[in-house]
Amino acid sequence: MSEQSLLEVRDLVVRFRTHDGAVHAVNGVSFDLAKGETLGVAGESGCGKSVTNLAIVGLLPKPAGRVEGGSVKLEGRELTTLKEEELRQVRGSEIAMIFQDPMTSLNPVLRIEEQLIETIQAHREVTKETARARAIDLLAAVGVANPESRLRSYPHEFSGGMRQRVMIAMALALEPRVLIADEPTTALDVTIQAQVLDLLRRLTEERGTATILVTHDLGVLAGMADRINVMYAGAVIESGTTDDLFANPRHPYTVGLLRSIPRLDGETGGKLVPIEGRPPDLLETPTGCSFYARCAWRTDRCATETPVLAPIDGGTGAIVTSGPTATHVAACFNPVAPEEVAEGRPLPRAEGVRR
Amino acid sequence: MSGQPLLTVKELAVRFPIREGLVRERTVAEVRAVDGVSFEVAKGEILGLVGESGCGKSTVARAITRVVKPNAGTIDFDGHDLATAEGRELHDLRRRVQMIFQDPYASLNPRMTVGAILREPADIYNVGSGAERSARVTELLELVGLDPRFAERYPHEFSGGQRQRIGVARALALNPDLVVADEPVSALDVSVQAQILNLLGELRQRLGLAYLFIAHDLSVVRHISDRTAVMYLGKIVEVAPSAELNSAPVHPYSIALLSAVPIPDPAIEKRRKRIILKGDVPSPSNPPSGCAFQTRCWLKEKLGNPERCTTEAPQLSEVSSGHQVACHFPDKA
Repeated sequence: MSEQSLLEVRDLVVRFRTHDGAVHAVNGVSFDLAKGETLGVAGESGCGKSVTNLAIVGLLPKPAGRVEGGSVKLEGRELTTLKEEELRQVRGSEIAMIFQDPMTSLNPVLRIEEQLIETIQAHREVTKETARARAIDLLAAVGVANPESRLRSYPHEFSGGMRQRVMIAMALALEPRVLIADEPTTALDVTIQAQVLDLLRRLTEERGTATILVTHDLGVLAGMADRINVMYAGAVIESGTTDDLFANPRHPYTVGLLRSIPRLDGETGGKLVPIEGRPPDLLETPTGCSFYARCAWRTDRCATETPVLAPIDGGTGAIVTSGPTATHVAACFNPVAPEEVAEGRPLPRAEGVRR
Repeated sequence: MSGQPLLTVKELAVRFPIREGLVRERTVAEVRAVDGVSFEVAKGEILGLVGESGCGKSTVARAITRVVKPNAGTIDFDGHDLATAEGRELHDLRRRVQMIFQDPYASLNPRMTVGAILREPADIYNVGSGAERSARVTELLELVGLDPRFAERYPHEFSGGQRQRIGVARALALNPDLVVADEPVSALDVSVQAQILNLLGELRQRLGLAYLFIAHDLSVVRHISDRTAVMYLGKIVEVAPSAELNSAPVHPYSIALLSAVPIPDPAIEKRRKRIILKGDVPSPSNPPSGCAFQTRCWLKEKLGNPERCTTEAPQLSEVSSGHQVACHFPDKA
């Protein structure tokens, strides 16, 4: 559905050159982001969820990290080939970012005022007074009390939750069309996380900002995301609307993730179903399914052939890639049967059916 | 509470001085990290301790393991007072109270082999012959589900989850009665976290261990603990059997905390009512008067700001069997 698609990522490949060889960080990631929707990205450390986003905005650590294939289009405009100055214009004004640790993203020796005004003036031709007034409005909008006097504060004078609010103010200063929030609440306590998520939800809804929300916390995604991409070893292995994905997970890894987390509303003392083993070494060129070694549903075919994202119902209709009617797709030859999901592993009966 | 208590903590207080001045250093204030905490852990029981950053939960752990000396209160461990024990007595008690740390990278010496790390406790306490100590290393590795051949390797050769297994094995080396686990799974990815939680549960069954399990993640604590204590600003505000705390919390802070925990189910998330607390936790160097939670309490506001909340600190008292709450209005929430 590229018509209403704001951001279009196709076959993105990112490699890191290291002394030990090339790290296959992102191996052909494709997705769309429509106006105003929130796309959640789930996955564990090293699955490529952050690297994908850094590649989108051209912030890969240089010279080690390189986009080695694919394209990123913002409203039809290719970003991967832009010059640094052009990219700088895109960042902030069209795509803004919020990271996990606000303390490393704010300059510790500058007052919040200078940083906010600098951001606004770098992209908009306005007077300092106008920029300052805008900065005050923004701080008020993110719920900072006494915004006028708080403008004079340094980042260390704010608590973690307040700093993240300042980051959100800065990210939204230029009314970007896309907001990338990478683990925005991971460093925060749960009551503060609730405040920040509530704020993020309200502001992006009000402004119709399309959001990519990266987090390892499936609970956060359940409450925030319209759609979810599940990533593993540098690839999207399952994608669908939040409701579809939680109600009917099909990829063994997604099922594993959902079964391995203790739930507040679950039973106490029961056994969790962990995913045995650990993710593959990304230094090795991937062959076959990347989840093969840890998968309870694997067959011989999985070792040699790499599955691609395909509709889970095997339908032949057009695949919808964004919005509330997005097609539920999974990259698996042997998707988990619904009755096996509750168990978190293949049922003996179901195993008999399979060869 | 079932079984006899192994650990009884009463009115525990730990204060850290804030000093100023370079030449003439003086104490200008103090941080009341732990401010009158009392609880019990029975033999073979898992008590979960939850709370947000800075609530004093780790300081409780450090006082029990006597990394810091408490300023007041008693820590009765099987008839000995850990709070005041010194020298030989403390040395012997420490053997029975072991700790598992949060960061599996920082808590293992990178220059020691896994075998040496696991042998060290026996070396320090002079337990068994050389051959027995080596046999114990093999036994420990098997106990935590690692290959005994790993004894010759160094910590950097292992993943985070495997390192945490090594940390668990080290804590078990001297057959302790109580294991204090401070955020043992929060540095791990969820699929690995489940492996370690299962391991801790199995070991408790097999060895009859008691744990003081400290974490900020309520879902994790609820999963593993028999009872859960909620801390806020250096005090325990509620203690209850874990299932009861989750289904029927009474303290307004516990209610807000539980409502803030995301549940991985979009249908439930849509229906849930969140109580979003205003503002941040006050500084423990300058706690509010009366009830520690009164500055953020939604119930106090709802009840029209009763004066009692600001003048009188509520004490833990029983609302039902085994369920204690420190709130002046436990029946109003």
